[in-house]
Amino acid sequence: MESSKDIILSIQNLTMSYGEKNVLNGINLEVAKGQIIGYIGPNGAGKSTTVKIMLGLIDDYEGKIVIFGQDISNGDPSYKRKIGYVPENAEAYDNLTAMEYLVFTGELYGLDSKFAQQQAERLLTQFELEKVRHTRLSSFSKGMKQKVLIISSLLHDPDLLFWDEPLSGLDANSMMVIQEILSQLAAEGKTIFYSSHIMDLVEKISNRIVLLVVGKVVADGSFEELQEKSEEGSLSGIFNQLTGFTEHRQKAAQFVSIVRGDSGDA
Amino acid sequence: MREFKSLQFVALFKGLFKRMGVDYEVMMMILRIKLTMDERRVPTVFNEIGKKKEGNQFLKSLWIYGVYSLLLLPFLFIGDNYIFGMSIQFGIILFILMTSMISDFSSVLLDVRDKNVLQTKPIAKKTITVAKTVHILIYMSFVTGAFTALPFVVGIFRHGPVFSLIFLLEIILTMFLVVVLTSLLYLFVLRYFDGERLKDIINYVQIGLSVGLIIGYQVLIRAFEFTDISLSYTFHWWHFLIPPLWYGAPFEMILNGNTGSHMVAFTVLAVLVPILAIFIYSRLMPSFERNLEKLLSDTKARKPSRNLMDGLWSKLLCRSPEERVFFRFSALMMKKEREFKLKTFPNLAMALIFPLLFIFNELRIRSLADISEGNMFLFIYFCNILIPGTIVMLQFSGGYKGGWIFKAAPVVRETAAYSAAIKAFLVKLYFPIFLVVGIVFLGIFSARILPDLAVVLLSAILQSLIMYRILKDIDFPFTRSFEFAQNAGTAQVILMSFIIVVFVGLHFIARSFDYGIYIYLALLAATIFVLWRKTFPENRKFEYNKTAIDA
Repeated sequence: MESSKDIILSIQNLTMSYGEKNVLNGINLEVAKGQIIGYIGPNGAGKSTTVKIMLGLIDDYEGKIVIFGQDISNGDPSYKRKIGYVPENAEAYDNLTAMEYLVFTGELYGLDSKFAQQQAERLLTQFELEKVRHTRLSSFSKGMKQKVLIISSLLHDPDLLFWDEPLSGLDANSMMVIQEILSQLAAEGKTIFYSSHIMDLVEKISNRIVLLVVGKVVADGSFEELQEKSEEGSLSGIFNQLTGFTEHRQKAAQFVSIVRGDSGDA
Repeated sequence: MREFKSLQFVALFKGLFKRMGVDYEVMMMILRIKLTMDERRVPTVFNEIGKKKEGNQFLKSLWIYGVYSLLLLPFLFIGDNYIFGMSIQFGIILFILMTSMISDFSSVLLDVRDKNVLQTKPIAKKTITVAKTVHILIYMSFVTGAFTALPFVVGIFRHGPVFSLIFLLEIILTMFLVVVLTSLLYLFVLRYFDGERLKDIINYVQIGLSVGLIIGYQVLIRAFEFTDISLSYTFHWWHFLIPPLWYGAPFEMILNGNTGSHMVAFTVLAVLVPILAIFIYSRLMPSFERNLEKLLSDTKARKPSRNLMDGLWSKLLCRSPEERVFFRFSALMMKKEREFKLKTFPNLAMALIFPLLFIFNELRIRSLADISEGNMFLFIYFCNILIPGTIVMLQFSGGYKGGWIFKAAPVVRETAAYSAAIKAFLVKLYFPIFLVVGIVFLGIFSARILPDLAVVLLSAILQSLIMYRILKDIDFPFTRSFEFAQNAGTAQVILMSFIIVVFVGLHFIARSFDYGIYIYLALLAATIFVLWRKTFPENRKFEYNKTAIDA
């Protein structure tokens, strides 16, 4: 492992199937320290599944995953200590208050409860949530809850972040803050692995973009590298091209004509 | 989408719905969707495949009501004194229906999730509320059917067709009464409170209702004087406040020809109150839906709640820091998880009341001094009845989707989660009740029963442990949806409730010779020690690694 000291995460030949259906078809990926990886792909490409496998939420996969030099299939959960995770759909124990939830998750990651409390309080204040910190999460809006989950993923100062759609539900201002937090964390040497459907954002903040289509990596490189390969100007253009989707205008026209009640194919 | 038999039955009342001003077609559509959804509820906590359960889980759990209904049968054979037998029967029926309504269908009634879907569409509010009510009524009639089918059939043979006809009519009336009364109660609460406070109040109303029903049942029994062997009934004005008596009266009036004015009055109440309630309900239901909105809003800043005791207990009872975290988490969940409280607190109340009640009942026959000489203190074993059901409930949470955190976090000893949850249950829920009953019993029976109380406490711990062991595929506590709580571990709960008898038996044997109780106490302690170690083993393999990363 000496030669690859900077490799934080490596995935070799990862496949996964739900019954008959193959969700992942041989993914290979090496991630070095300090990278911000935008993990993109159409709905159902297997993005969330990959992330869940790396976190140990799903364990009947095939292939090899090494994180922080440890094969995660050996059953030792200690590699998770330095990982922060934001799940998609803001799932949390809703009946706890923001503080209770944060202190609980902090402690799960081995933090001292006083310290977790302090950090949580300070971070909540930064997001202007200090007034509702003793209110149950169930009464939070999606954006507020998302902020709490983002804090909970950072409380233990992890080295590797998995953020699944971290910006969903956030307003434009909060998005900018999160975006800035991401790049500053990467500058500190943290590795960030996040998935999003907002292409402009991925284009702006990722220094590496991995595009997944039906469980396979079809593009992997910086935005500039992808641009060179595909002659498209924007990431959404590249995305359309690589996912083999070029007829959006035609699709839209058809759609609208059906809405308007035309019978023939437009 | 398939056609539901229950909907074909509902279709019989098409004319009635139309006359009520309900958009019949839309209502049926909503119901079809709801019933289809009920069938498709599948656990999705960790998206595990191969663990799926198909079909409507609720319908599959109905058999248990059939078993409960055996309780009703003896009352069909206690002579022709209908006012006694039938009042008790309807007391039990009301009790079972009300508890089922409160614990299983409150969530349907108070559901705000489909507000976005339904109320944004051009559908009259009335249609939505009636659809909701019919949805509940469909399930309630299943419960009622499962619970009264057996007594109904036996009733035909025992008392003839007229009896059965009255029985059937009254059953329908009680069912409506239960559904409508519960709704009206919520309506009243919803009017005056809002947000999280409201949810808490509803929660406590639900718990209070369940407890009230238990106590009410005792009051019902008091209405009869057990003089010698024959039962006599003497009317008092406050009997008008006991609904089961209303429903016992028609039998007495029609079958025994007892046309005393109070009997007629009871019968009128039995028929009139449900109809009146339905009328009020249909008038108020639209405002109910409006007020439901309040359940979503909560803007007040709150103060933190202090949990010093939890911290103390966790330090005292848990060795690893990991287990302490789980302990505090479990304690919090038990305090805050409303659905959990709703399903377990009524049991807690029963565990508290029953042992005292038995003593109280005994007081009518003997003097306190007389009781204090005997073995009546063994009734404290009734406290342990709450254990099996509560241990099962520990698996569930309304926020079960948050369960990913257990897998995502570096949890070294996964079994620590459950050992902590069980400890928290014993400390936070079981022990306070045991303490209250224990102190009262010490007052009655003097300090001589101290070793016996210690035995009971240890039995409780052992029973919790065994209960956990015989439950299948448990993962982490609080990570399953309550949708599956209906039939989870029912067989195990019944089995483990009966095991209390074994514990009482062992206790008796131990008391029968000198120092036996102390030997038994030591044996229990040793068994718990060994079994606990076996059930929640240490994960030594990775304990070392953990510290390596810290460094």
